[in-house]
Formats: sequence, structure tokens, C-alpha cells
Amino acid sequence: MFGAFRATQVNLGGLLWKIPWRLSSTRKANARARLKKVDAVIEAVRASGVECSALDQALELPKEHEMPARDKYTIFSPHAKGYRKGIHKVPKWTRMTLRTNPKGF
Amino acid sequence: MSSWMLSSTSRTCRRTYPTFFRTLTTTSSSTPAPENAPNTHFKITLRRSAISLGDRIKGTLESLGIHRRMQTVYHPHSPIVAGKILKVKELVEVENVPDHLVRTKQQQTLDRRPKRGYKLVRSSRPSI
Repeated sequence: MFGAFRATQVNLGGLLWKIPWRLSSTRKANARARLKKVDAVIEAVRASGVECSALDQALELPKEHEMPARDKYTIFSPHAKGYRKGIHKVPKWTRMTLRTNPKGF
Repeated sequence: MSSWMLSSTSRTCRRTYPTFFRTLTTTSSSTPAPENAPNTHFKITLRRSAISLGDRIKGTLESLGIHRRMQTVYHPHSPIVAGKILKVKELVEVENVPDHLVRTKQQQTLDRRPKRGYKLVRSSRPSI
């Protein structure tokens, strides 16, 4: 039962994939809170009255309340079945802009 | 510069600093703070670290004058600053503030510093 050669999932099966395939409700709530904070930043820049192309591009992005759940928690992947995978599989996904899908998806 | 020095000396229990530090922005604290002054500056606070996000993002933060998390900087409204903010919009928190609320690094340090001296809450000696 114990010892170096005990039968664990890693020893028996080799790779044990530790990333869950979908987000928990807590992680989804945290993701929504982060999206809202980014919306607040864009709104603050818009409220400043400054005009620039970066702001125009940022205003093109859908806001948190406008996004469907599919876009909030999953992302396009050309390799995944159904062309979607969990957004948490993307490295640094909490600090990146991943709001829109490629055209047609 | 001098306007802030005047206001600093008028407050009690605050150290006066020599005028060797530079002010990034002009402050008008000598005049009484207007209630509905127009917002002129971005107040930018770094909330999320840019570790392992690449040199472009890190360089953007450097160019905004941000070197560590929870650091706050003030920049006047301009398209250049707005573009930089939007480049790092996942990492920062932005607020629009009027001119008289702009704080330099030294002023922020002084604002954080507790007041010197003590306040008498209760005395064990009977009042005379």
C-alpha cells in the first residue's frame, strides 16, 4: 500500500491529467468578476473622453453581460472535438483578452 | 511644487521635505478643492503582475512608470496613455480623477504615513 512502488494512478496509467475538463462554478464566478473589472477599465478610458484607435477596438469587444456562457468559459480550438475547449486550458488565460471567436465559429 | 509645500506646512504633524523631488504633474492644492472639477488624469493601479506575459506587456508597464504590483501612478488624459492602458487592461485598475487629487510618489508616501504623536483616549488620573 505504501512505498516507492505502490500502485498509484500515475504509476499504473502513466499520465494523469490534472486539469479538469470544465471550470467549477467558483472559477466561473471568478472569471466573470475579472471580465467585469476589464469592462470597468474600458469604461473608465471611454469616460475620459480620449479618442484613439485602441479604444475603438476595445469598445468592439463584447461586454461581460453581452457574452454567452459558451464564450466566457470555452474557447475555439482547431484540434478539439466540436472546435471548443475549456478556456482554462489556455496558458495565462486570466490575464489575456479571449472574448471573441474566429469568423464562422 | 511650491503650492504643495505651502499646503504641507499648513498641516500639523507633517514633515516638510526640501524641494529636491520632482513633481510629475501640476497640482493646485493651494486653492480649495473644487467639488465638481473636471477629470483630467488617469489614476492607474497595477493589480495583476505581468510576470511571464512577455517583454511587450512588461515594457508597456515600465513606460507607464509602474514597477511593482499595487503601485499607483497618475497620467494626464491623452491617447498615448489610453492606448497603453488598454494594452494592459487585464492587469490594471483605472479611475479618472481631477487635477487636485493627483499625488506624486512622495505625496502618496506621506498620505500612507500615520500621524505623529498620540491622542488621549482615557486617563487613569481623575480629572481636575
